[in-house]
This record gives sequence, structure tokens and C-alpha cells, in this order.
Amino acid sequence: MASVELHDVRKVYGGSITAIHGVDVEIPDGEFVVLVGPSGCGKSTLLRMIAGLEDITGGEVRIGAKRVNELPAKDRDIAMVFQSYALYPHMTVRENMGFSLRLRKAPKDEIDRGVANAAQILGLTPYLDRLPRHLSGGQRQRVAMGRAIVRNPQVFLFDEPLSNLDAKLRVQMRTELKALHQRLKTTSIYVTHDQVEAMTLADRIVVLHDGKVEQIGAPLDLYDRPANQFVAGFIGSPAMNFLGGTVRRSNGAAAVAMVDGTRLPLPAGAKGGDGQQVVYGVRPEHLALGDSGMGFPLVVSVVEPTGADTLVFGTVGGSEVCAVFDERHAFKPGETVHLAPKGDRVHVFNADDGAAL
Amino acid sequence: MTAVTMDVAAAPPRKRMSEEKFWAIVLIAPYVVVFALFVVYPVLYGFWLGSSANSFKKLFQDPIFVTTLWNTAIFVLVAVNLKMLVALGLSAFFILEYRWVRWLSVIFIIAWAMPSIPTILSVRWMFNPEWGLVNNLLFKWFQIEGPGWLTERHYGLTLAILMHIWKSLPFWTLILVAARLAIPRDLYESADVDGATRWQRFRFITWPAMRAPYMTSVLLSSIWTLGDFNSVYLLTGGGPNDSTQVLATLGVRYLRIDQIDVGMAAVICALPAILPMVFFLMKRLSRVDEQ
Amino acid sequence: MTATRFLERLPLYLVGLAVALWTLLPIYHLLLIAVSPPDKAVAGDIIPQTVTLQNFITILGSKHNLVQNFWTQIWNSTLIAVVTALLTLVVGIGANFSISRLRIPGGRLITNIALLTYLIPAAFLAIPMYRTMGQYGFLDSPWSMIFAMVTLASPYAIWVMNQASAKLPVELDEAARIDGATPLQILRFVYLPLMAPTLVAIGIYALLLAWNEYLYAFLMLSTERQLTLAPALGIFLAFDDAPWALMMAAGALYALPPTIVYYMFRRYMVGGLTAGAVKG
Repeated sequence: MASVELHDVRKVYGGSITAIHGVDVEIPDGEFVVLVGPSGCGKSTLLRMIAGLEDITGGEVRIGAKRVNELPAKDRDIAMVFQSYALYPHMTVRENMGFSLRLRKAPKDEIDRGVANAAQILGLTPYLDRLPRHLSGGQRQRVAMGRAIVRNPQVFLFDEPLSNLDAKLRVQMRTELKALHQRLKTTSIYVTHDQVEAMTLADRIVVLHDGKVEQIGAPLDLYDRPANQFVAGFIGSPAMNFLGGTVRRSNGAAAVAMVDGTRLPLPAGAKGGDGQQVVYGVRPEHLALGDSGMGFPLVVSVVEPTGADTLVFGTVGGSEVCAVFDERHAFKPGETVHLAPKGDRVHVFNADDGAAL
Repeated sequence: MTAVTMDVAAAPPRKRMSEEKFWAIVLIAPYVVVFALFVVYPVLYGFWLGSSANSFKKLFQDPIFVTTLWNTAIFVLVAVNLKMLVALGLSAFFILEYRWVRWLSVIFIIAWAMPSIPTILSVRWMFNPEWGLVNNLLFKWFQIEGPGWLTERHYGLTLAILMHIWKSLPFWTLILVAARLAIPRDLYESADVDGATRWQRFRFITWPAMRAPYMTSVLLSSIWTLGDFNSVYLLTGGGPNDSTQVLATLGVRYLRIDQIDVGMAAVICALPAILPMVFFLMKRLSRVDEQ
Repeated sequence: MTATRFLERLPLYLVGLAVALWTLLPIYHLLLIAVSPPDKAVAGDIIPQTVTLQNFITILGSKHNLVQNFWTQIWNSTLIAVVTALLTLVVGIGANFSISRLRIPGGRLITNIALLTYLIPAAFLAIPMYRTMGQYGFLDSPWSMIFAMVTLASPYAIWVMNQASAKLPVELDEAARIDGATPLQILRFVYLPLMAPTLVAIGIYALLLAWNEYLYAFLMLSTERQLTLAPALGIFLAFDDAPWALMMAAGALYALPPTIVYYMFRRYMVGGLTAGAVKG
């Protein structure tokens, strides 16, 4: 097991297209880090650079304090789980899982022991002599993980390992993966575009956007204190509502005034000077129903009851807003309800660069 | 399309070639050697041999040269177009899902699977004017004295064309069958719903999908037909009096009488016809390879 | 089947009959003459009146001076075909693995140049190749045929293999690299097992190409004990009163092995060899 450090890591394709713009991350031994971001943000490229599958254009990657830029993938002592699983179709589960040990010329009984152990952890023992094409999607996924476990590597790398599974199985495997990490405590780097996966699995999350790190932090830190509008909108589901306006302060009370005059109340400690252009952000789950004097009016357009909670979509001052309630409500389209942010859970971002104020 | 290695100044220079690069070069080497020794060098050497003015003078002065050019043009144009049209038609027959059609397709392919010499010799003997089966039967059944099939230019050339078609028809039918099978079924189903006639189905669905593979096949087949030595040489030997020679047999004929430079000159004469086809085919084929 | 349905399908049956007759006629004639008594090959009967295996016995016993080297020539043909197949596989596997798995720079260019060879009419390339084989000192030795056939077979091999290996996900190689495999181990443990069906098709293709080749053998091999069967059959033509029955019997014996091999591996051949041709 080992730490992983990225220092100013850059990737340039063909001399001109920059995929990664200088990423700095330090991952201590045993940590589970998730790289998350929309597709094309460079998260997979970054992972493949750590794995040794892509050349590193600039900067430095260290595994266990050792610089590995020039080290081929096979010598980095890492294991990787691919999105497509990349199981060798002509090898049985047993052969797939034992392949790395076989290449390392490990004695046969050591291979057998390693495979049996991993199979037992993952519940694959009955399937050891099957070929991958005779397994279900979830079983294949387990074999891919088993192949990584058998190695007992310094670092696990996961490249969207759950995205080929159906929704139900994905949730189940997510839980198993978390339990597995708690048991093995191997440093893990996990790439996904799914922020729920990121939130549930990670010790720390690295949010990437256009090849740059937007924010690094523990899941709830990112949720509670997003550094900018991008992170705020990316983390959390349904996504945070954003409303543009101007800060108005008078007599100690503060609000954001939208173009049509709608006033969005700001908590007492909120930053932003009088007259400043801002984006007002509030999560759907942080909106509560209020009386006509409080908060701001929402004109309901669609109500979606999911059973557990109720999603209400509508417009505030011409902008789309979503609110989530634990209780059940039967609003009619066109009806106006009043919403107020709970407590002081309002975020204000600079309108120019999206940075949190 | 390889990942470009861009070592920024800050990174220390690679001490040695990566293992992948090393093996990539070692493994490609045998082909490069074969290609250099047995394609590049012979072709360059051949051009050098055939490009002297003297060789062309000798070639143009040879009275059979003009006949050969005509024969070659007729041979290629007739053989290729007839073959491809029949193959296009037969491809419609061979996609039928009857068991007997399946079996017939297994038999049909035999002409392509077998070496060509025995059957060409068989046909040669069949059409032997004095002893062959054809003339014997003509006499026995109709009391007709059959013509000298292989000793008259037109009959000889016709038989050579038919022989060539016999040999290569199965292959091209197979290719066009594959092209037909690649057309989605539901296109025909929706055409049926729209009330299309048989001809309209061909005109608006089959042909648009088949045109590109058909044209590629025509070009490829033209080049290979130009290089068909066996059908002519083993059937007529280029005779009578060199009246059925084509460029392929003429070039070899010069080689056999130790005038390889004239032989190469004859080959070079085909270049204006070949090069545009090669250019066009390379564009098509390398696009297929890219996918 | 009702009469109307039969009439409806009559055109199909006629096409089928024509195809069968057209295909089988030259082959039937070949066999017909081959089983005729040597002196009756001229009789002109569609149904043979007497059937004899005399010609085959003469050939297999090498009891006629035109077939006195029959067994040597079978050996030559076999040797050349097998070595050609193996060398084509070695050359093709190396080139394809280098181009499509190790991504050698310029790999596409090499593929295109290889394809160009495939577009040289065979008889045209034969002429200069004959001369250069003489310069290399290979003329009249099996090596001339082997190298010529490998040259003709490998561009097609590379092209077909490029298509096939494009279907192997690149993640398999990456997974193997991460598992600690060297390039040669990837070749051995991942690439070869997965490419096996295509390799069978390529091997058989090269084998048949070499066995069936007439022109190159006719040009490059000259002494009778070096000949392969194909040009040896052509020698019969040099005699005005050639023993046709013997020649047809020899032709049948020569054609039999490749035909059997083709039908044994037909499954691989059809799929593998038409794969790329369709998309163009």
C-alpha cells in the first residue's frame, strides 16, 4: 500500500490540445479518492496517466514517494478495474484472476490460494471454472475486482466500474465496494461521472472540469461549502437552483433582487456588497413552504410525487426552480406557493467567475 | 494514430526505448524485409529495365502488340462486366433461405476452391476440335462439323473469358451476397408496406446500398483480371499465331524468350489504365481499414 | 407441393439447374476423362461405357515418364504450401501485432503500402520478380516459390488481420499490461488465442494460394524434380498427342487435397475473408 501524489500533472495531445492543466492532488495511504466530473473533463485521462497507460506530458506522478513517470504500467504495482471489465474472454474466472500472479511466475499453490481467497471475499467460488461470457453483468464486475484483489497491489484504480450495470445492481455493488475498501484499506482512486457514487464512496472527492481541479474535499464539505457555482451545481441531486440578481442591503436586511423585482432573502451573515451582481443558489431540499409574506413566490408548473418525497417544479421571476418536500403536496399547475430557504443554507456566487462569496 | 510522446523539458530524457516500441519495430521487421526484397526492389528494377526507349521500340514494332492491346481490352471489359452483372443477379438467388439453395451454394463455391489448372485443361480437352467431347457430340447428335474452338481467335478469346468467369464468379457472388445480407431487413418491410414493386425495391433500396461494394468489386476485379495468365495461356497458349495474347501472357512470352525489358515495357503500357483504378481503390480500401 | 407453387418457383429451379450445370460440367468432364481407359479418352460419351482406375494406378506407381516424379512433386507442393502458410502467419502476426496492438508510428502507411501490393496484377509482378529471384540465387529452389507466395499472401493477411484485431478491445491489452505482461506475453496469452479463428483462415488461404499457384511456379522452377504439381501438369501440354486421360487423372489428384482442405475450413474462410470486402 502506498500514497499517490500528483504534482502539476499535465497532458497535451499533439502539442496543442490540452486535456489536463496542471493537477495537484495528494492521496495519503489507504484513502479512497473519487475523481468526478462531467464527461470530457479529463478524469479518465488522469487515471490512465497514473496507471501508465498514457504518457505524462508534464509534472510528476509519485506512487509511494517514488516517481513513476517513466515506469511502464506493468512495473507500477497497481491494479485497475475497467468500465468494460476487460476480462480475457478465453480464460476462465480462475485464470482471469490468477493471470497477474502467473505472469509474475508465482508458485502454483500461491496462485491457487490467492484466487481462492479473492473468490471467497467476492462470492465467486462456485463460478471459478466458468468463462466470462457465461456470467451475468454483476458477476463479471466481481471478477474484474477479484482480478485486482488477487494482486494485492499498492493502489486500486477504478475507471467507471459500475456504469455498465443496471440501477439496482449498481447500488448493491457500490455498497460492496465500500465494504471491501473498509476491509482491505488499499489506496483507491475511483473515476465516475455519477456524483451520488462519488458522495457515497469517497473519503475525499476531486471535482474536475475541463481538465482543471475545481475543488478537493470530503463529500459533505463539497455539499455544504462548494467553492464555486460549478461544484455547487454538480454535487447534489436534484441540482442546486441558481437565480441571477443584484444584492440589495438596507437597514441591516439583505436580499438579492431579480430583474423582475422578486426579492430573494439573504441570511444575516451573507457576503456581497450592495449593488453587486451575484448568482443566488439554494438546493431544492433546503426550500420550505412559507406564508405569503415570507421568501419568494413560485408559480408551479409540474409536480412529481416519487412516494418518498415530492418534487415541485416551477418558475421564480422567469427562472426554473425545483423544490423537494418530505411531505406530500397536491399543488395545481399555475398555483402560486411561497418558498423560503431553510436556516441560512443559501449560497451566493460572484456572477462574473462563479466563485463562492 | 499513435499517442505522441511529448517530453517536456522538465522531465528527464528517456534512458532507453520503451519495451513496446522496441517490440513494435522487431515484429514489423520481417514484413518490411519481405516487402523491400520482393516488391520494392523488383518493381523498381523492372521499371528501370522496361523504361528504355529501345524496349518500347521493339514492343511497338512487334506486329502482335496491337492485337494484344485489343484482346486485353475486350478480355477485361467483357469478363469483368459480365461476371459482375451475373454475380449481382445470382446474389439475389443465393440469399434465398431454402435448404436446396444453401446446398447449391456449397457446390457453387467449388470452382473457386479448386486449383484452376485441372479444370482449364479439362475445358481445353472438351473443346479440342478433333477429339473433344463438344465436337463429338455435335457430330453425333446433329451431324455438324464443329468449329476449331481453340484455333480461331474469336472462339478462343470467348472461351478464355468464359473460363475466367467460371473460376472467379463464385468469389464475387459471395462478396455481393455478403453486401446484400448487410442491408437491413426492415427497409424492405417498410417498402412493402409502402406498396413498392419488385423493381422499385431494387432501384430504391438494394442498389443504393450495393452501389459502393459493387463499384469496388468491379475495380478490384478489373485489376485481377488484367493479371489473369492461366485462363488464356492454358486454354489457347496465346495462339493461334499469337492472336489471343493478352498483356499478361505477352509479358511472360517476352520473358521466356529472354527479352524481359520488352516484357516490362508491355506491362508499363497497362499503367495508364491501372493507376486511376489503384488510386480510387486505395481510397476506398483504406477507408474500410480505418473503421 | 401444389402444382401452382411448383410453377411459381419454376424460374428459381431453372436458375438453380443452370448454376449446377455450369459449375459441375468442367469438373464432371475432368473426372469422366480421368476414369476412361487411356485409349478411350476420345470417345465422346457423356456416360462412360467403361470405368477404370488404371490412370490413377499408373500415376501413383509413377509408371509413365510424364508422371515419374509425381511423388517428388507432391512433396514439393506440400513443402512449399506448408512453409508459405507458416511464414505468412509469422510475417502477418508480427506486422499486425505491431501495427494494431503496439501502434507503431506509421502503421497506417505500412498497411496502405501493403495493400498496394495486393493491387498489382499478379502476372505483371511475376516478370520482374523472376529476374530478382535469379539475382538472389533462389531460382529453381523451393525458396523462390515460398518467398513469392509469402509476398503475395501477406498484404491480404495483414489487411484481414487488421479488421479482425480491430474488434479486440484495446482494454484487454491495457488490462494485461497492468497485470504485468510484457508485449510478447500479451501476444502469447491474449492476442494469439483470441485471433485464432482469423489465423486459421489466413493460414489456409496462404496454403491454398501456394498449392494452387501455376504462373510463378512455371516461371521460377525448371528442373523436373524441383517442380510443383501445377507446372508439372502444364508440361503435358507440350506434347501434341498428350495422354489426356492420364493428365486428367493427375489433375484430379492434384485438385483433391486443396478442395478437401477448403471444405474442412469453409466456416473460417468465408467469414474471415469476406469481412473487409463488404464495407467498401
